[in-house]
Parts: sequence; structure tokens; C-alpha cells
Amino acid sequence: MTSLPEATKKYQKKRWASLQAQEARLAWKLLLPTAIIVFGLVIFPAIFSIWISFHKVNLSNLNDVFHAPYVGLDNYHRVITDYAFKWTSWKNMGAYITSIVYSFVSTIVTIIVGLIAALLLNRPFRARGVSRAVFLFPYVAPIVSVAFVWRWLLDPRPSGVANDILMRLNLISRPLGFLSTPGLALILVIVFTGWRYFPFAMLMILARLQAIDRTLYEAADVDGANTWAKFINITIPELRYVLGALFLLRLIWTFNKFDDIYLLTGGGFGTNVLPVLTYQFSFRLFNFGVGAAAAMILLLTLIIFLVFYVGLFMRSTEEA
Amino acid sequence: MTTKSYDHRPKNFIEHLASRMSWGKFIFAMTLFFFLAMVLFPFYWMVASSFKTYAEIGGRHPVYIPSALRWDAYKELFGYWNFQRNILNSFLVAIPTSIIAVILSTMGAYASARLKFRGKDAMLNSILIIYLFPGILLIIPLFAMLAKIGGLIGFNVQDNLGILVFTYLAQTLPVALYMLANYFRTIPEEIEQAALIDGCTRSQVIWKVTLPLSIPALVSVVIYTFMIAWNEFLYALVFLNSRDMFTMPIKINTIFNDPTPRPHVVMAASTIMTIPIIILFLAMERYLTEGLSAGGVKG
Repeated sequence: MTSLPEATKKYQKKRWASLQAQEARLAWKLLLPTAIIVFGLVIFPAIFSIWISFHKVNLSNLNDVFHAPYVGLDNYHRVITDYAFKWTSWKNMGAYITSIVYSFVSTIVTIIVGLIAALLLNRPFRARGVSRAVFLFPYVAPIVSVAFVWRWLLDPRPSGVANDILMRLNLISRPLGFLSTPGLALILVIVFTGWRYFPFAMLMILARLQAIDRTLYEAADVDGANTWAKFINITIPELRYVLGALFLLRLIWTFNKFDDIYLLTGGGFGTNVLPVLTYQFSFRLFNFGVGAAAAMILLLTLIIFLVFYVGLFMRSTEEA
Repeated sequence: MTTKSYDHRPKNFIEHLASRMSWGKFIFAMTLFFFLAMVLFPFYWMVASSFKTYAEIGGRHPVYIPSALRWDAYKELFGYWNFQRNILNSFLVAIPTSIIAVILSTMGAYASARLKFRGKDAMLNSILIIYLFPGILLIIPLFAMLAKIGGLIGFNVQDNLGILVFTYLAQTLPVALYMLANYFRTIPEEIEQAALIDGCTRSQVIWKVTLPLSIPALVSVVIYTFMIAWNEFLYALVFLNSRDMFTMPIKINTIFNDPTPRPHVVMAASTIMTIPIIILFLAMERYLTEGLSAGGVKG
């Protein structure tokens, strides 16, 4: 190849460059439909949402939204002074604090339940495959069905299953309104979230558990470590990153989640969260500007949290 | 370790059980049983209740086992509530979503896994940002934007199943693309290069080499997008107004919120909506769990 004339070399170089350009053109052609849909239906609306949050948009001018009057921070002011949003007392925490409490607690519950389930399935036993499939049911089943089953199980009448069982066990004397008692309703919504989303955590933890080097445990056995010591000193450190990633993902998704609480309580009885509040502003009161402002507050909170989390996470990995 | 005593001479049942039990095993079995019961009971309740009558659901105590397989709830569902129309709507949304999603995400995933071009990382990162956006944030501008465009070129935003398909595509394409791109990277590039050298064009390579090798991943993308479209609640709630256009989740919500409580009818409808998903999931479990844990399905 060394004896090729200069012209041929040049030709080859040119041909190579044009091949590369061809490849890039093909790539963009292949990506274009996805890019258009994602840009048109996600990225543009997200930016547009910022604009809406500074304008007065309601049903009457929805068809002429680009000429909506500018109102500055009025929409934001309306949200943060709204009785349903702001903190008034422990009994009435408001959607903002409730959102934060709900997301943090249910994320932790989801991960702990997922961890226990993953540890169960990490042991060999006969029905392991079937059990794993069954454990995933709550996660794949439609939210509407499972939410309504739970609502009926927690029915406030004595004919509700939860009331019936608790009354037969003599734990309560009168039927409880599980989802209509402030405090209890929030706890049960968190329990529901843990029930529904633990399989996701379980899958991710299980995948990591099965990748842990067996020799670590064998070495610990030689040193005479008991099960608990092995769990604390080997399993948990090995799961560190997966637990960190899970916490982040689940927290974001739970914070953004609308369906679960809307279907279980409709946002009443001390369970109102920001997504449900946004829905109420937008599609009950038809005040889209205020709704968009509520959604922006949600997103801003999320971004602030992410910046802190990534900052902390980065620092701790650098130290390690 | 000594070998276990499976083949000792017969003892009575309790002794036999005791000889094989230890505290660790006992706790393990109890926890497993507890988990299975907690997971399965709501599903049992759903299916069992769909066979109850008004008398059985209206009693003072809950009926744990229905007296007989009665189809009252299903008759009411398909008669009075015209549920077949809603089943059809759900299919009309979920099937196009999954087919279009698998085609578009295959194209995009191939580009991002195999081809080199400038701006690839920026593009992929911006697609992943969708993980962060709450659905509720996007629905207000989407609603306003589509109302405006619909007014200009003359289509109705409300009760338009096509609009729903597009919004579901926007939600599912990023994850589908991510899942497929990861899978394509596991296929050795040499196979494709060999085909290229043999004179195949790029599109022939994709059709005849890459896609046949990726069938498991393609199947899991189809099912994943189908499930999202089938289960979705918020967008359907906002975009659909007339009962004839409702997808199943919205119709079930309507039946539930009807002034006359009909829990058995709600459970019958839920059963109809849940069973196909569970069957689909069980049939494809192996592929799906890989996808679920690799891509991280938004939910």
C-alpha cells in the first residue's frame, strides 16, 4: 500500500470523508421522527409552560393563548398563598410539604420493601421463578384497577375488608374511614405506593445482588462473621450505588406522580400533592396560568434537589 | 457438611417437618408467604368480586368467596355501560402506539448505537431529560398548543385518539430508544461489517442482520409501549370527554364515581383490563424483566 500514487491516496481520503458524511446524514434521517416528536411534544411544551406561568391563561382565551396578558409573578403569588398549597399547621401541611414528605417516605419504604424482596429471591428455592413473576404484578397491573381494589378493600363501611378483619380481631371497635382520616390517609397512600413500586426496586437490587463476588462471603465465613455482619459489611456496601440510583429515580418519579393519589383520595384528607394541585388549578378551576406556575414550582424544587444530590454524591465518590 | 436426610425411614409428618426446619428457614418462609399474600390478595379480591351479585356486595360483612360464578357484573358492563366500545378504544390507542414506537425507536436506536455523527451525545442526553419532566407539567402547554394548532388546521383536540397516540409516543420513545440502543450494542459489529463487505447496503444490513438478531428486544419494546398506552390515565382523562371515546381506565373511573356504588362492576372492568396485561407479562417475562431493569421504565 505504500507505493500508491498521490492521486489515489487523495481519492481514498475524499471517499472516506464522504462516506462519513453519508453516515451522519443517514443517522440524522433515522433519528429525525423521534427528535420531532420529542421536541414537539416534550421540549417545546416544557419551555412553553414557563411562558404560560407568567401569563393569564384560562378557558376564555385558550384558543388565543399567544395573546394572553402578561401578569408577572401573580400566578406564583396565587399558588404560594393558596390555602391548599401553603403550610398552616401540622394538621394541615399543605400540598408543598405533603409532596416532600410523601415522596421521601414512600421512596424509602419502596426501597426497603424492594430490598427485603430481593434478599428473599436471592436465595435458591423451588418456586423462585414463579415468586419473582408474581412479585412484579403490582408494578405491571394498570394503576386504575389496583387503586380501585385498594379503595374498596379500605372501604369505610363495616363491609370493607380491612374494617372487617380489624373488627374481627378486636383491634378496632368501630369501622375506620381509612382514606378519609387525615394522617391515616397519608400513611395508607404511602403504603400503597410502597406496595405498587417495590418490584422496580427489587429487580434492580436483585440484579446487583447476583453480581456480588461470592468469594467475599466465603472470606467472611472463614473469619467467622455471622449473617448480620455479612449483610452490613458486604451486601450493603456492594449495593451502595444501586441504592443511590434507585433513591434518585424513585424520588423524581414519586414527586411527579399524579395517578396514585388522585385515584386513591382525589387529593383530599391531607394527601394533596403538587401534581394533583396542578391538575385542580388547571382542569377544575380552568386557570391554566396558575396551574403552570404550580407545575413550575414542582420542577424547580426537583432541580434544586438534584443539584444538591449530585453535589453531595459527587463529593462522596471523590473522597472514596 | 453432611448430606441431608431425605431418604431416612418414614417419620410422622411433624417430625419430618421439624427435622428440615430451622429458625432461618422459618423466618424466610413466613416472609415469603407474607409477601405473596400481600401481593396476590388484591388481585384475588378483584377477580372474585367481579363474580358477585348486588346482594353479596351490599351485605353487612364482606363476602370472601362468591357463592357461584355469576356473570351479573359482566352483563351490566357490556349491556348498560357499553364497555366493548372502551375496550376497542384502548386497542385503537395501544396498538398504533406500540407499532409506531417500535419502528421509530429501532431507527433512532440503530443510529445512536452504530453510526457516528456530530451532536450524538447532546441529542441522547436531551432525550433522557424526559425522565425528569412531570407529565402534569407538560399537559397544560400541550393542551393549549394543540387547541391552537387544531383550530388552525381543523382537527378536534378533544376526543381524538390520534392525539393520545402522539402523546404516548412522546412518553415512550426515549425509553424504547434507550433499551434498543443498549441491545444493539451487544450485537458484535463484525457481523454487520461482514455483510457490508459482502455488498449489502446499510438498509439491507439492518433488515437482514440486525433486526432478526434483536427480536427479543423488539418484542419487549412492543409490550412495554403497549402496556404504557393501555394503562395510561392522566392524558386520557384530560383529552377525552365523551363516553364513547373513553379508553378503559377513564371509563372505569367514571363507573367508580357513579352515584350508585357498583364495586363488582368496577372489579369486572378492572379484571378485563388487567388480565391481558398479566398474561402478556407472564408470557414475555424473561425479556421484559431485562428491559425493566436495564432501561428503567418510567412509572
